[in-house]
Amino acid sequence: MSEFLGYERDDGSIGIRNHTVIISTAPYANDTVERTADIVDDAIPITHPLGRCQTKPDVFQTYRTLLGYATHPNTYGAVVVAHAGEIVDGDELAEDIAATGRPSASINIHEEKGVMNALDSAVDAAQEMVQDASAQRRVPADMSKLTFGINCATSDTTSGLCQHKATAGAVWRLIDNHGGRGCFAETPEFFGGENELSERAVDDEVRQEILDRVEHWDNRLQATGYDVRGAQPTPDNMDGGLTTIEEKSLGALVKSGDGPIQDIIDYGEKIPDKSGMYIMDTPGHGAESVTGIGAGGAHFMVISTGQGHTLSNAVMPTIKITGNPHSAERVPEQTDVDVSEALVGDESIDWATDELWEELTDVINGKLTLSETMGESQFAIHRIGPST
Amino acid sequence: MADRYLEVVEPVDNVATALRDVTAGETVTVAVGDEERTIEISEDVGFGHKIAIEDITDGETITKYGKSIGNATEAIPAGSFVHVHNVESNYGRGDLAEESDVEAISE
Repeated sequence: MSEFLGYERDDGSIGIRNHTVIISTAPYANDTVERTADIVDDAIPITHPLGRCQTKPDVFQTYRTLLGYATHPNTYGAVVVAHAGEIVDGDELAEDIAATGRPSASINIHEEKGVMNALDSAVDAAQEMVQDASAQRRVPADMSKLTFGINCATSDTTSGLCQHKATAGAVWRLIDNHGGRGCFAETPEFFGGENELSERAVDDEVRQEILDRVEHWDNRLQATGYDVRGAQPTPDNMDGGLTTIEEKSLGALVKSGDGPIQDIIDYGEKIPDKSGMYIMDTPGHGAESVTGIGAGGAHFMVISTGQGHTLSNAVMPTIKITGNPHSAERVPEQTDVDVSEALVGDESIDWATDELWEELTDVINGKLTLSETMGESQFAIHRIGPST
Repeated sequence: MADRYLEVVEPVDNVATALRDVTAGETVTVAVGDEERTIEISEDVGFGHKIAIEDITDGETITKYGKSIGNATEAIPAGSFVHVHNVESNYGRGDLAEESDVEAISE
């Protein structure tokens, strides 16, 4: 299969979903966003504690992440709700969204003279977008348009032995056989494997950038004055048998396979169009790394979990795979693909890869993931520096 | 015949991952590359946890995937449970950093 059915966008991208998102620019618009999404069926609320009293690096990162969701291939249109004048500017965001050809609306609680009026306007705008989106039909598109996100979740010692190998097989199938893109992240989870990873870079500049970014994270963690164990690996990682961050990392890197790395990009930065594998520089904190990769425009994500996890994203469907025979029992309602027969039974990693590929091609064409059927999602923008 | 539920990733590794619950007193055979090694298990080790497949000295590198995953904090005889109680990491060690680097944040 080299084609799928997706939603065409004016900017040339193709979505596998057709979402309307309601975006808050600051904490004081969060409730209005949530209430709008409560009223308008199928509208996705995007709320966060940021966007105000932040230093510039964080302002850029917050803005880039919110714009990434508003202009994601899976996004039809976006309603931006601001509280007042903010450093993450609602009108500017709505203009940048409109520039991609997507419907957008900008609503300001102060200018509307209160939450009730703002809610009325936001519901009006969201209703129109949701209804128009529902009338759009899927059309055939080439699989080279697709970007495959990958992330770990509650890794354990089974991750690197089984499910990550199947995940690597699937992402390289999209890249090598169909001309698509892959993106993984979680820079502190390269500790101990950074030299071998950096050798996969397409050139010396990217190789050095990978090493520099790993060193930067190690320095930041050392600057806290504490041993990072407990934060990396986490208590649930340790319950699953992972002893140190190095052991977790060496397992985590298995999911990226062994092919060339095109580039390492900033948190929430758009993943380039050129076919190949990319790294996004994010923390290992799953909600933050997944949010970053979603902002980068990955169409879907395979979450390769050891102990089982609820980690999900509302705009970028998440397909959860595990190879731990006990984990499918721990979070059964969200385990899409159980390949434990390849770890403790008689099946092979090739079989596990085929199982995953079959599920994800169904999801690309519209099958809901288990987390989508439950409306399960988290949204957490990585914060760099202090609030002011 | 080697126990398929005791996985040694690379021949240079000094630990195996248990893919079943292992009980103290068992004699097990693990595949290490093309060779087999017989080990007396001295402690219970649960699913997913690690077993020393050779005698490891205090301070020695713990090797898995053919690479360092940290260092032993005590002597670990073959057949013992290997985990956070006897292995430390070499990354993110703010507790070992120079005091001048951490003063501003740790106070």
